[in-house]
Amino acid sequence: MKVMRRIGKEREKYYGYLFVLPALIFMLTLIGYPIIYNIIISTQKVDVMTIRENTRQFIGFSNYIDLFKDGLVIYVTKNTLFYTIGSIVIQFIVGFGLALFFNMKFRLAERLRGLIVISWMVPVTVTALLFKFMLSPSNGIINDILMFFNVVEEPVGWLINESTAMWGVIIANAWIGIPFNMILLNTGLSTIPYELYESASIDGANVFRRFIYITIPMLRPAILSVLILGFIYTFKVFDLIYVMTSGGPVNATEVLSTYSYRLSFTIYNFSQGAAVANILFAFLFVVSLGYLALINRDEVM
Amino acid sequence: MKRVWMFVVYIVILTLILLGCGQNTQQAQQDITTNEQTPATSEGSDEPEPEPESESEETGEVIELTVWHYFNPEYDGTAFAEVVEDFNASQNKYHVTQEFIPREELLKQYSIGLVGDVLPDVGMVDNPEHAAFSAMGLFEDITEQVEGWEETEQFFEGPLLSTVYEGKYYGLPHNSNCLALWYDEDMLKEAGVDVPQTWDELMEAAKKLTKDGVYGLAISAVKNEEGVFQFLPWLLSAGADVETLDSPDAVKALTYITDMVKEGYMSNEIINWTQADVQKQFATGKAAMMINGPWNIETTKRDAPDKNWHVAKIPKDVKYSSVLGGENFGIINGKDVDGGWEFLKYICGRVGSEKFNKDTGKFPPRKDILESSDHWKSDPVLSVFGEQMEYAMPRGPHPKWPEISTAISEAMHESITGVKTPEQALKDAQVKAQEALKE
Amino acid sequence: MKFFRLSGRRKSIFINVIAIIISCIFLFPLYWLIISSLKPNAEIFQSPQTLFPRQIQFDAYYDQLFGPNSIIRPFLNSLLIATCSMIVSMLLGIPAAYGLARFKMRGSKIFILTFLITQMLPATLVLTPLFLIYKGFGFLNTFLAPIFSDSTIAIPFIVLILRPYFLSLPKDLEDSAKIDGCNTFSAFVRIMLPLSYPGLITAISFAFLFAWNDLIYAMTFINIAEMRPLTAGIYHFMDMYGTEWNKIMAYAVFLVTPVIIIFIFLQKYIVSGLTSGSVKG
Repeated sequence: MKVMRRIGKEREKYYGYLFVLPALIFMLTLIGYPIIYNIIISTQKVDVMTIRENTRQFIGFSNYIDLFKDGLVIYVTKNTLFYTIGSIVIQFIVGFGLALFFNMKFRLAERLRGLIVISWMVPVTVTALLFKFMLSPSNGIINDILMFFNVVEEPVGWLINESTAMWGVIIANAWIGIPFNMILLNTGLSTIPYELYESASIDGANVFRRFIYITIPMLRPAILSVLILGFIYTFKVFDLIYVMTSGGPVNATEVLSTYSYRLSFTIYNFSQGAAVANILFAFLFVVSLGYLALINRDEVM
Repeated sequence: MKRVWMFVVYIVILTLILLGCGQNTQQAQQDITTNEQTPATSEGSDEPEPEPESESEETGEVIELTVWHYFNPEYDGTAFAEVVEDFNASQNKYHVTQEFIPREELLKQYSIGLVGDVLPDVGMVDNPEHAAFSAMGLFEDITEQVEGWEETEQFFEGPLLSTVYEGKYYGLPHNSNCLALWYDEDMLKEAGVDVPQTWDELMEAAKKLTKDGVYGLAISAVKNEEGVFQFLPWLLSAGADVETLDSPDAVKALTYITDMVKEGYMSNEIINWTQADVQKQFATGKAAMMINGPWNIETTKRDAPDKNWHVAKIPKDVKYSSVLGGENFGIINGKDVDGGWEFLKYICGRVGSEKFNKDTGKFPPRKDILESSDHWKSDPVLSVFGEQMEYAMPRGPHPKWPEISTAISEAMHESITGVKTPEQALKDAQVKAQEALKE
Repeated sequence: MKFFRLSGRRKSIFINVIAIIISCIFLFPLYWLIISSLKPNAEIFQSPQTLFPRQIQFDAYYDQLFGPNSIIRPFLNSLLIATCSMIVSMLLGIPAAYGLARFKMRGSKIFILTFLITQMLPATLVLTPLFLIYKGFGFLNTFLAPIFSDSTIAIPFIVLILRPYFLSLPKDLEDSAKIDGCNTFSAFVRIMLPLSYPGLITAISFAFLFAWNDLIYAMTFINIAEMRPLTAGIYHFMDMYGTEWNKIMAYAVFLVTPVIIIFIFLQKYIVSGLTSGSVKG
């Protein structure tokens, strides 16, 4: 019997792989290859004039050097970071607030929370069009409302001014992201045992202290997931910006994904497009490593 | 243990089902869909696309060809489909199937298709992009056929030249268009303004026509080829050209447009407006005048049936000018050249070209059709476009046109939004364009 | 988390009202979408905007249903693609999440990293290489191409969402199941999955939505008009009609409505799952 059980334990070790490997192989086939492909292309010269050549010239890091010499890529990277962090801060704070609010027991809580999630499901292209429409200075409802409350005196060209365009895009993105944050944090909140709060109350902890010492630590895995996923999904956003502003005015809302797309499919400089994609990829890679380190510290696997 | 096996078997079966779908070709896939979506079949039969059955009825030697285009099925796509059907009926050697793919998507499909080698037999291309795609090796060199065809001499020089790259022909011009000034007759009358003919008059007219909620003029300055297409008439009219973007004349043109926006005669939203948006502004009375092309005639009549409007040549600075728009067709490299050429000769030939262009409000790029038919001369609107056409200049042709175009587009945005002065914006654009040309 | 112990009817009404106001503000864009689809285009171009249409008309809807490019076929295509992609993602993603949460494995961190990075490139940037792969498999112009591509977005998502969820479930449950004679797999299927179904429903709904909302993969890998999904249809619209907002919005309503219905339905389950005793432990 003892021997049997030990074999069972040994075998159990491999069950893990059985669970994980199918998905892993699937992802590596479909996405691993594109990643490698992009890296190779970015070290070659592939553009209008050379795409038909069979042997492609290896030019090392020239594409990257050219990009940095041009300087736009640095500006675009800053834009991307600003956009990502701005979006995440807004959607996390509002999402967390809503999660706490809807976690209270009141009659309409479930139903309204369900309704709010709808904004997350609207296809991005539709959201982008809708916000472009609402933010328009000539017939956008947002300006009408702001003018009604005397916040602004005349219509603001949200997506037309260099200084406001990015905020216009961030607001649209936050509208998509808030329910996502809310629902995940809500799921996390509901797993916190009620007894913890009760005993803390008995110990005399006030609402604020209970939040800091119970809610936040208990929610830590959920918060981390939300932030990291939020970062990844926002950092690589494409459709939203492409439809709302195409990266304009001038380059005010150009982010790495739209810039890369523009290089590849507007001026057909495929290798520089791939190089920008790799820069984007490098950022997210670092973020993932950080995430892993955090997981390592937080969890007993 | 039993559970484990059930789990594994379940996964294996599902995988097999899914892979099973993959091994068959499109037809099988479509069968699957029709099986699962019985209500859709009745819908499918309404489609104008030719059914594959016709193939088996023929002798069996019919060669299947596909053509990709971006004529929207709701507008010019129907006319094009009819011409394709006419071609299929006119002979029994080839059968052509047409596929509509939106413009941006089509360009992407071409560039991906080049790497992946999945392309149609014949493809449509916007004329300024033709040279770039020829350089990329998308199109077959058909110089021999074009030069040997007796009807080649009927094509206008500009459109025909747009198919040339490094002295060789890579396609045939299919349709042409250009831009003109559209104006709301009632608004002009009310403001007591005559139809402007010069830049000064236009500025003055725009000023008088601008009032609460209505802009004097609307153009498209969107950040792509469309915006550049709309800007070039001003650039050329000032006597500048795309080779020297930093010339004083070019600066004058960009300054003029920028001032129009600064003064508020034109909305600052023009940087986000496509030409379709501009048409809507005009049709809904939000703009008294606009710059747009003949493909909007039917749409405007439909949108605003009671509106009194007319068109005129774009006001001039030094000279009248417009830009040649239009599409070409080419045979894809390595595909059936004989079949493709037969098809090209038909759709760009006398009958096919006349039918398509008549039905869609576009212009045939052929002298013989314009001379023999009075469709384009008798219509008061089309005849103005016809006059304007004489001043229409082609863009490029140059394989690096997309890069030059991007540089111009950026300069426009920088100047209109006030990030840079027109001088500085064009100076920077010139540097970028020169770099592109140097390579 | 229960900060407030609600006492008294008045307080309860107050909170409900606040919740309604918040929801209304948040969902205003959707109201605007529907309202705009019911206006004639001329009214949309008037300013200031009318908060309620002066003249309600359903022309835009009629056009979309019975016009030359009817949405019925693309609608069914979307449904097929999204459902299949959801199934593929579930079959691969859920076990992977479980495996990573429950087993000590050599390289499990690398696996997590792989799932993280495989979803990092925006769809637009993997188009060319994916195109090459599908060409090799003969998947181009079949529904398999968008189904698999959409699953590459959903699988990492499921893994990352569900792994913490599985982690948070008490391990004792599994152990006691094993004492009762279950092995690893049956414990997973019989005990852990039912216990975690609120989380599962969340993950699965999102997997469906990723595929339902996808535009770029379907557009790139399918060139046959009759096989295109709904999102491609609205893209054609934007391409050609520019600012015919009422029509675009009507199209959007078709795109959004079924998902809203499904989701509201599932929402009940998610919430009941969250509040049921089994999860709270």
